[in-house]
Amino acid sequence: MAERSFAKEVASLRLGEGEVFHGEGILAVTKALLQSGVSYVGGYQGAPVSHVMDVFADGRDILDELGVHIEHCASEAGAAAMLGASINYPLRGAAAWKSTVGTNVASDALSNLASAGVKGGTLIIIGEDYGEGASIIQERSHAFAMKSQMWLLDPRPDLPSMVRAVEKGFELSEVSNTPVMLELRIRACHVYGSFTAKDNRAPEFSRNQVIQDPDFDVSKICLPPSTYAQEKHKVEHRWPAAVKFVAEHKLNEVFEGAADEVGIICQGGMYNAVIRALQQMGLADAYGKSEIPIYVLNVTYPLVPDEITAFCATKRAVLVVEEGQPNYIEEAINSILRKADLNTILIGKEVLPMAGEYTGEVVTRGIARFLEGAVPKGVSLAPILEMQETAAALRHDATELLGEVVPARPPGFCVGCPERPVFSAMKLVERDVGKMHVSADIGCHTFSTLPPFNIGNTVLGYGLGLASSTGIAPNFGKRVVSIMGDGGFWHNGLTSGVANAVFNKDDSVLVVMNNGFTAATGGQNIPSTGTNPRDEPTGQDIEGALKGVGVEWIRKVRTYSVSEMAKTLREAMTTDQGGLKVIVANGECQLARQRRLKPLIRKDLKAGKRVVRTRFGIDDDVCTGDHSCIRLSGCPSLTVKPNPDPLRTDPVAHVDNNCVGCGLCGEVAHAAILCPSFYRAEIVNNPNAWDRFVDRVRRKVIGFLMGRREAAA
Amino acid sequence: MTRPTTILIAALGGEGGGVLSKWVVEAAEAANLWVQFTSVPGVAQRTGATTYYIEMLPRDDTADGKAPVMALLPSPGAVDVVVASELLEAGRAIQNGFVTPDCTTLIASTHRIYAIAEKSAMSDGRFDGDNVMRAAAQMAKRTLMADMGKLARQAGSVINAVLLGAMAGAKALPVPREAFEDAIRRGGIAVEENLAGFALGYDLAESGEGATDDSSEPQAVRPDAAPIDRIEQGFPEQTRPILTEGVKRLVDYQDADYADDYLDRLQVVRDLDGPERDYALTSETGRNLALWMSFEDLIRVADLKTRPERMERVRREVHAAPDQPVTISEFLKPGVEEWCSVMPPWLARPLLALAERTGVTKKLNVGMRLKTTTVLGFLPLWLVAKLRRWRRGTYRFRQEQALIEQWLDQVLAAARADYDLALEVADCALLVKGYGDTHHRGTRNFKLVMAALPSLIGREDGAAQLKALREAALADPEGDGLDKALTRLGHSRPEIGMAAE
Repeated sequence: MAERSFAKEVASLRLGEGEVFHGEGILAVTKALLQSGVSYVGGYQGAPVSHVMDVFADGRDILDELGVHIEHCASEAGAAAMLGASINYPLRGAAAWKSTVGTNVASDALSNLASAGVKGGTLIIIGEDYGEGASIIQERSHAFAMKSQMWLLDPRPDLPSMVRAVEKGFELSEVSNTPVMLELRIRACHVYGSFTAKDNRAPEFSRNQVIQDPDFDVSKICLPPSTYAQEKHKVEHRWPAAVKFVAEHKLNEVFEGAADEVGIICQGGMYNAVIRALQQMGLADAYGKSEIPIYVLNVTYPLVPDEITAFCATKRAVLVVEEGQPNYIEEAINSILRKADLNTILIGKEVLPMAGEYTGEVVTRGIARFLEGAVPKGVSLAPILEMQETAAALRHDATELLGEVVPARPPGFCVGCPERPVFSAMKLVERDVGKMHVSADIGCHTFSTLPPFNIGNTVLGYGLGLASSTGIAPNFGKRVVSIMGDGGFWHNGLTSGVANAVFNKDDSVLVVMNNGFTAATGGQNIPSTGTNPRDEPTGQDIEGALKGVGVEWIRKVRTYSVSEMAKTLREAMTTDQGGLKVIVANGECQLARQRRLKPLIRKDLKAGKRVVRTRFGIDDDVCTGDHSCIRLSGCPSLTVKPNPDPLRTDPVAHVDNNCVGCGLCGEVAHAAILCPSFYRAEIVNNPNAWDRFVDRVRRKVIGFLMGRREAAA
Repeated sequence: MTRPTTILIAALGGEGGGVLSKWVVEAAEAANLWVQFTSVPGVAQRTGATTYYIEMLPRDDTADGKAPVMALLPSPGAVDVVVASELLEAGRAIQNGFVTPDCTTLIASTHRIYAIAEKSAMSDGRFDGDNVMRAAAQMAKRTLMADMGKLARQAGSVINAVLLGAMAGAKALPVPREAFEDAIRRGGIAVEENLAGFALGYDLAESGEGATDDSSEPQAVRPDAAPIDRIEQGFPEQTRPILTEGVKRLVDYQDADYADDYLDRLQVVRDLDGPERDYALTSETGRNLALWMSFEDLIRVADLKTRPERMERVRREVHAAPDQPVTISEFLKPGVEEWCSVMPPWLARPLLALAERTGVTKKLNVGMRLKTTTVLGFLPLWLVAKLRRWRRGTYRFRQEQALIEQWLDQVLAAARADYDLALEVADCALLVKGYGDTHHRGTRNFKLVMAALPSLIGREDGAAQLKALREAALADPEGDGLDKALTRLGHSRPEIGMAAE
């Protein structure tokens, strides 16, 4: 079961014509897929589009009724390849993943898909993980659209626009035989709003209405000479067809304004930020009525040259608001204007930053600078400039008053996370063997690279921890350690890492974090969960897979046993045995565990059953305030508090009430021989008669002894 | 109206900021407003700083049912309400420019959840919360700041319910109180508690009075009269608060005689000191001397862990009801050094030498989980605590006293030449703390820093240099910082294996 349940929300997937849908953007997109008569959907989880898969998993009943198939793909490559169903058959299909990383993984299949062309509408929902909250390298998916000639939609970030983009996207795909990418930024995926729904459409062909005859067409095969014909078809037929459709259906929008000697061209996703900036300058009202004309590119690839020249022809200067780099759109518009021999001044990255998220502040400053230079008639500049000055002065004041930069609060392992102890153990092993080179991977465990652990020298991609050690390992003075989560292991790490290391007889150490889920993306099931999202047992496990590809040195260790983990790591680092040594670090994702246990405990408590609650604590008079325990753990519930000792100033360590009693504190105190201030308390709820009797006796005797101590003093 | 009302919620991932936002959204919808909400889930949600953003606008009949255009990101100068679930996050919102005097109501809880850099520092890395309070007062149009975590505990609710109440009570949103309360009811989880928390937040906003800060619990210390009288007779008033604490501590640690020793030692410092600097050297030395003289040996730990007030404190901390059985397990791992520390020197020295020769000094530590709530687990600690009366004869005691004497001589030597330097020398005692490896590391750092002292006496920047060395020693556990600082001063560091963490 995933971290977030959509059991309640999926009811809104059933809404019919005219009813109002309220909910998150990504849920609205899901509803739009059903309204478009999609036959199959799939993808790979990753913020900000994990919820597409979660919603489908929770809404299986509705999908079954419509005959829609959902595939939980092994990777984005698998999801892209799945879309091959639409090459030969009139099936509408959709896939979702995090981009650009997911698109990178998918690109082999995508190139082939785009070259062969599609008969059924094909939509790729990409969660553009850019700016605040992003967890990946900052790149644009735009380049993928351009290189493979797939169309790129970037709708205005409100629910009606996003839903329309899905519906029109399928049509565009079919008209131009081209896969269409729907780009949604993080905040658009999670935006809560409303739109007026339509009835769901059962697809013509589906699981309930299967295709009988296979279609064979050699021109759809990506082999010469078909590939040459396909490339020609792209530019001679598909591209013009797409441009025509975009123009005819007015997918891009023009909003007229009074100050029409200037204008703004923006990506659809940037529209609301542009309007907010104009609102702040008094140039737009709450409903988007703007003094400055705006041309909104809900389709950012391909561009429609006639629309661009028509918008620009009457204007002295136009600002392009294009987030990300390189500035493909701005350059393309420049080229269109040049060819049309128009002298409109085009401003873009001159007043807006080349790199980084276009936040409200950035867009406001950029538009202000543009207007300052363009001096359009009918726009009073003084208040705009004054606003900018005030903003700068306030920022200065705030910095001054705060005195120093507010400490960063980077993400980290959750309370009781089973992966944290592995890195505590690594720190301890480093005391003996010296600093190690660690090839890190993608997953929650990437947090090891941040404080307090700072373990992990490189991160090269999902499941690529071991593969990324193959160059350095033979050139390094001691064994190199690689990390891989079970998510990455099944995504590709088993083949690209493990099988290949066995094949090359690489001498290195791999730690597989087996927490049973893709925890970082919201706890989706994977083969090592033991069950699929339908709760059917799958009989797959990591150890079996390791043995299957020929790994001989395998150790399974419970992650919370820090001493055991450290011992095993030390052994792996120092054994004479060559080849790959794999430690499977077992520990269920604590979020999943708590989700599983909490309702059971609540039920037992209510029923009056005996329940033991465990948590850790620190004797603040024993703690001397060195905080080594925090540097070896970083648990959010292990924190500091003001020292109650009037003579000491350094804060003492303290365990707060979020402690789930995972036991790491005690393990670390033992393994590192830290300090005696930790204690574990077990509190018995609904004690039975024996509990009460023993407790009474103990308290009596101990109370007596304590009294004696007082007397002796 | 040219733009909607905007709300930025700054919180920590996993705190339930999404629930708070959902309440606000539902209340606004029930009040027939246009409302939009967004957030940045993903890895930021894993304990990091994160934000939630809401916009709302009353429906305008003249707008023809047209929906407003609402932003997905907050803009400085256009945020009407900033809600922060913790003080540092309020500071972050101010730093990012979202709190402005023209429009922002800042509602924040003043409790602290420390960031990793703050809590992993080797001494005190905490950000000064007063800076945030000062900045808030000046940057916001209106502030509503109080320990809402405390109010939540009082109501048995989540902090979000108190924050929601404060938002409603501040009347900064076009939504009536009942709509917010209905949203909590519809949520269906811990409704009574959350409504109680909401009411506390609401009243807080209406009265404008914040809860006062928790003062820390008073330490239970057995007082003793005799040495305290000595302080009043022999030491200036400015030094008395600290010295009184010192005496109390040492009586509690050992006995009145030991506290007398403490004052004897301090008398020498006092004789060198004067009123020009308010007897600062006597106070600082007094503070550090009391801490050092009450060094944490096996006996002290056993003593502290077997006190009745300790058992009560633990029960309070883990929220156990008076009649609830609680088992407490201690994590102890004493080894050769710890056991030898409570032996007489004639026995400890050869044993330690033997352990060193055979390389088992650090190998014989036995991990114990002693259940001090059972009679058999309590008894051994109780017996060790009884060794108190023989403490003066133990190996560790002799060792520590020798080090203390040495340090005091250094304080005095410095004081004769440079008062500020002497103050820094006094504070260097803080380097020695902790147990096991931490203690070793601290002692080594202390000795290294002190070795540099002779070259600093007579230097104009002597005090500043010594302070820099001390801070360098606390910069990182590996000792790299101290290494560099010493090299800069022209002192090479002797080769010693430093225990990294």
